Amino acid sequence: MNSLMGKTLYVDLTKKKVHTRVTPPEWVELYTGQKGLGARILMEAADPKVEPFSEANPVILTTSIMAGTIVSCSAKLAITTKSPLTGTITDGSVGGHIGGELKYAGYDAVVITGKAEALSYLYIDPDRVEVRDATGLKGTGTFATEAALKAEIRDDQVKIMAIGPAGENLVRFACISSERYRQLGRGGIGAVMGSKNLKAIAIRGWLDVQVADIEKCMEVAKAMHEQDAVTAPENEIYEFGTPVLVDMADKSGLLPTRNFQQGTFEKHQAINGESLKALRKNKKACFSCGIACGNYVQAGDARVEGPEFETIALCGSSIGNGDPEKLIALNALCDDLGLDTISAGGVIAYMMEATERAVHDFGVRFGEADKALEIAADIAHLRGIGKDAALGSLALGEKYGGAEYAMQIKGQELPGYDPRGSWGMGLGYVSAPRGGCHMSCYPIAVEAWGTEDPFTFDGKGKLVAEMQNAQFAKFSMGVCDFWPISSETLGKLYEVTYGGSWPAEKVDRAGERIFNLQRMFNVMAGFTRKQDYLPKRFYEETLRDGPPKDKAMTRAAFDKALDDYYDFRGWDGEGRPKVQTLEKLGIEEKLIAAYRKAAKT
Amino acid sequence: MPLKLKLSDCTGCQLCQLACSAVHEGAFNPEKARLKIIHEYTDQGIHIASRHCILCKKCEEACPVGAISNNGRWMIVDHDICIGCGDCARACPKDVIYYDANRKSIICDLCEGSPKCVEWCPKGVISLYERAVKA
Repeated sequence: MNSLMGKTLYVDLTKKKVHTRVTPPEWVELYTGQKGLGARILMEAADPKVEPFSEANPVILTTSIMAGTIVSCSAKLAITTKSPLTGTITDGSVGGHIGGELKYAGYDAVVITGKAEALSYLYIDPDRVEVRDATGLKGTGTFATEAALKAEIRDDQVKIMAIGPAGENLVRFACISSERYRQLGRGGIGAVMGSKNLKAIAIRGWLDVQVADIEKCMEVAKAMHEQDAVTAPENEIYEFGTPVLVDMADKSGLLPTRNFQQGTFEKHQAINGESLKALRKNKKACFSCGIACGNYVQAGDARVEGPEFETIALCGSSIGNGDPEKLIALNALCDDLGLDTISAGGVIAYMMEATERAVHDFGVRFGEADKALEIAADIAHLRGIGKDAALGSLALGEKYGGAEYAMQIKGQELPGYDPRGSWGMGLGYVSAPRGGCHMSCYPIAVEAWGTEDPFTFDGKGKLVAEMQNAQFAKFSMGVCDFWPISSETLGKLYEVTYGGSWPAEKVDRAGERIFNLQRMFNVMAGFTRKQDYLPKRFYEETLRDGPPKDKAMTRAAFDKALDDYYDFRGWDGEGRPKVQTLEKLGIEEKLIAAYRKAAKT
Repeated sequence: MPLKLKLSDCTGCQLCQLACSAVHEGAFNPEKARLKIIHEYTDQGIHIASRHCILCKKCEEACPVGAISNNGRWMIVDHDICIGCGDCARACPKDVIYYDANRKSIICDLCEGSPKCVEWCPKGVISLYERAVKA
């Protein structure tokens, strides 16, 4: 017995047909859950060259082994698909309570293909799977959509994920919102849902989740909570949530400010952990989480659970906005419209810089937060310039000029850390499978805030690759980012929920396998070394303040770092995993054969 | 001696419900927990509520066959007598009585005096009233 439900649900929206299949145990063994299982299912379900908005591009929901159990911070749900923003594989995960609910409904994963005739929502419980009419919700924000569906389903325990007008209108960086303020944010997964005429997914469950050894599970889970101090009130992430990072990032000179032209923000204290804590009304946890990082804040009429650090950086300092009330308002507006706050902030910051540099007059300058609110709404509804801005900063820059001011990688806008203040992070950014993203690894913790030199690439290829492997294992096996868990502890928890023996090396190996699987998808989709670079600002301009002042990261040094990284990973000079690397990792022969054919290696 | 919840400190993690179902049912299932936490956003803001046995004894009064009693600290259901009629659940003002697989009523027994929900709550929200209620 283990905590797998054993079933994967397949939904074809075109044919209005559903069926279930056994969740292949060998996939779980190799790729575990969430991120890894999602990537494996995507490899099976679609050609990597699939057009992101086509019926054939699947939306794949995956839970994890630990979701639904008492293990802290374990209830996340991931969605994997091909991104309309980047053309890469992309996955995102959402907290709240919906991950556990899918397990209680009886499924490990859900694979949605096709396109509904009219706007619809998918309802899932242990007895029923139904595609239901949602035409009345056309154009409705995510908050009202959730409330309307709860009322229609007449069950206050139902968990809902919904897209807003941005997703319906195929904005390339549309997100999915759940429980109002929990977002599955990046890569435009909301737009893929929109392309399927899928407004929302509602899940309700009441089945048991079993584990390998429940008594041992209770004992180990409790000990880990306490030993790892995830439940300690003095834990800073509990005290402040992610805004605790604002002061740290500013002090380290890597807080993106005015579209990454600066690394320190003179108004950062107005939007830091202390300031936002003063506006806090409540704490909120995700299901099974002892940390409770969520802060429900209110300023004037504006309220939100958040803003999280990335939102503060991209919708705050990076657009020159130091007004907490306007920051909260912009955060809530994006959540309701279904826009990713990181990309939305990145697009608006590009427009501001292009205007100030007289490249193109978008009519908005740094610090004009009210206009940023208008632009966000225009993007979601495709009004005026919003129609072009909905394609992302790179597409906007290519059309109007100043594409070098689009701070993106593979088309995805960068998150809240200037890589000039943590060079390893730059390497992490370019190698992240889903484009500009801070979730594949976090070298900042050891560079800017630890003992490693942030301003060298020496040894960083190995450092970044090993961190990525551990992160990919953690996010696939099912623990949230905010538990800084070791692979050893992760393995111990896996043993009492899934069973078997999971020493730290096996955990990291699974992470490495999953990372390579995602890279295989991207190579097969046509990606090469060419897309693994930072925007040229980072090589050509140095920062003027803080520790990174005058530290020049050259393109030549970056090239060398990339070589080291590829080499450590067992990839060739073009960044393609070598066949023997994939074989050594135990990736299935069938996948390697398809990869050889597509990548011609 | 019913449970006392300081809801203003509750974060909605439902670890209490997970611990409850694990101890009593041998599986994780918040639906089968003997207490329920509601923690959600509404248009008005955040709504936090709990449903747990308050030892009002309305179930005992409603039971037609005398299967329910109490020891002054928690309710006791005799499953040999219970006929699964559901009168107790209908009488429960907190809606926290449910049925097991054999349709016998299940009511919180405070884990016979040392409740797991109290032990597992990471924020110290749940405690026990010290005074006993008259049997």
